[in-house]
Amino acid sequence: MKTEKLEGLLIDYIDGKLSEEERIIVEKEIAENESAALLYDQLKQLMSNIDRTSTLEPTSTLKSNFEKSLQQEILNSNQGRQIFFQPMVLRIAAGFVFLIASVVILFWVNKNYEQQREIARLREEMDSTKRIMMAMMTNPQSASQRMLGVAASYQIEQPDDEIVNALLKTMDEDPNTNVRLAALEALSKFHQQAHVRTALISSLAKQKDPVVQISLIRLMIEMKEKSVIQELDRITRDKESIKAVKDEAYSGLLKLS
Amino acid sequence: MKPAEVLPTDEQVMEAVKNGDLPQAAVLFERYHQRIFNFLVRMTMDRDMAEDLTQNVFLRMIKYRGSYREGNKFMPWIYQLARNIFSDHYQANKNKKGLLNIEKMGDTMVESEESKWQDEREELLQRSMARLDEEQRELLVLTRFQHLKYEEVAVMLDTTVANIKVKVHRAIGKLREHYFELEKSN
Repeated sequence: MKTEKLEGLLIDYIDGKLSEEERIIVEKEIAENESAALLYDQLKQLMSNIDRTSTLEPTSTLKSNFEKSLQQEILNSNQGRQIFFQPMVLRIAAGFVFLIASVVILFWVNKNYEQQREIARLREEMDSTKRIMMAMMTNPQSASQRMLGVAASYQIEQPDDEIVNALLKTMDEDPNTNVRLAALEALSKFHQQAHVRTALISSLAKQKDPVVQISLIRLMIEMKEKSVIQELDRITRDKESIKAVKDEAYSGLLKLS
Repeated sequence: MKPAEVLPTDEQVMEAVKNGDLPQAAVLFERYHQRIFNFLVRMTMDRDMAEDLTQNVFLRMIKYRGSYREGNKFMPWIYQLARNIFSDHYQANKNKKGLLNIEKMGDTMVESEESKWQDEREELLQRSMARLDEEQRELLVLTRFQHLKYEEVAVMLDTTVANIKVKVHRAIGKLREHYFELEKSN
């Protein structure tokens, strides 16, 4: 048997990896062949020495150096991670969060912008309505236009001073009775507001039109405005006031006293 | 009774490291540093050098964690890192010193480390190992000293189990020649 082949078989024999048949051949060779026996002894000794070699221990420096380096790597990695998420899944999640946040912010900004635009549009519309209304109320040519202007003021929830003054002026000075009455009616709608109420009270003294006077007295009664008692008393004694107006003033005095 | 704690496999730990859980690298260091150190001591015949190179292996494991392919075995991968580091070291020394005389290096290193290789037989064995070429020495370190299976080494060296077996047998034969030659000359 060639030395190389025999050597291979002897190694497997020592390792216990031979089949029964091969083991018998090898044992026969060892028993009968002196050089095979020597080879076997040498291999057995060598392999046994290898198996008995000690495991070497590194010094503690290795571990402490590794720990220091690891800490440094962790530090570097954390700095990097402020920008990049290491696992792909986190990167994707972060991407989604960013995308959703962007959409929400954009939507919110857009909505805000839309609201601003809507407010501006309404304000413009209101201004425009007001301008038209004022123009109509002061139209000296057409009583019907003035009437329409007064009617338009009904649509306004919170009239500003400019509108109230325009209505008061119409109520006191408009040449047409119907327009004056319409203006009074419009103002009565806002009588809860302090400045309208004050303006209506002071208007009572200035009114010359009996129809408007009667309506105004009725409104004062309705408003339960006791401060007009003195004015009502004056009307009852006023020689220029017609009987119907005086009767209304008496009625007022009776109800408000 | 508390159920026995199941330790994560090397592969699970390495995947965690790869996914950014760097402190887990310490677990792999604990499991493998002694084996890698012993592999490198027997390859370099120099304990101090082996410690430096072992340190480099684990640093490279962390730095190149991205190159670990999930699903692959960890052990062949870490050994491959160690082999590469040894190879880099060997090449660097070869370039510095010209032709590297392994036999001389082995002899001197063994002598300088005499107090540490106390056993006479073990010393003889190391001197014989130093006379082998790098490939044969590596094969014997992996299969006989580190007790890796032929299958594992075959995967690591990207060859067949039969090829590894033949080469290991030849290396043992060669080692036997050196060993008994040296023994005779002592």
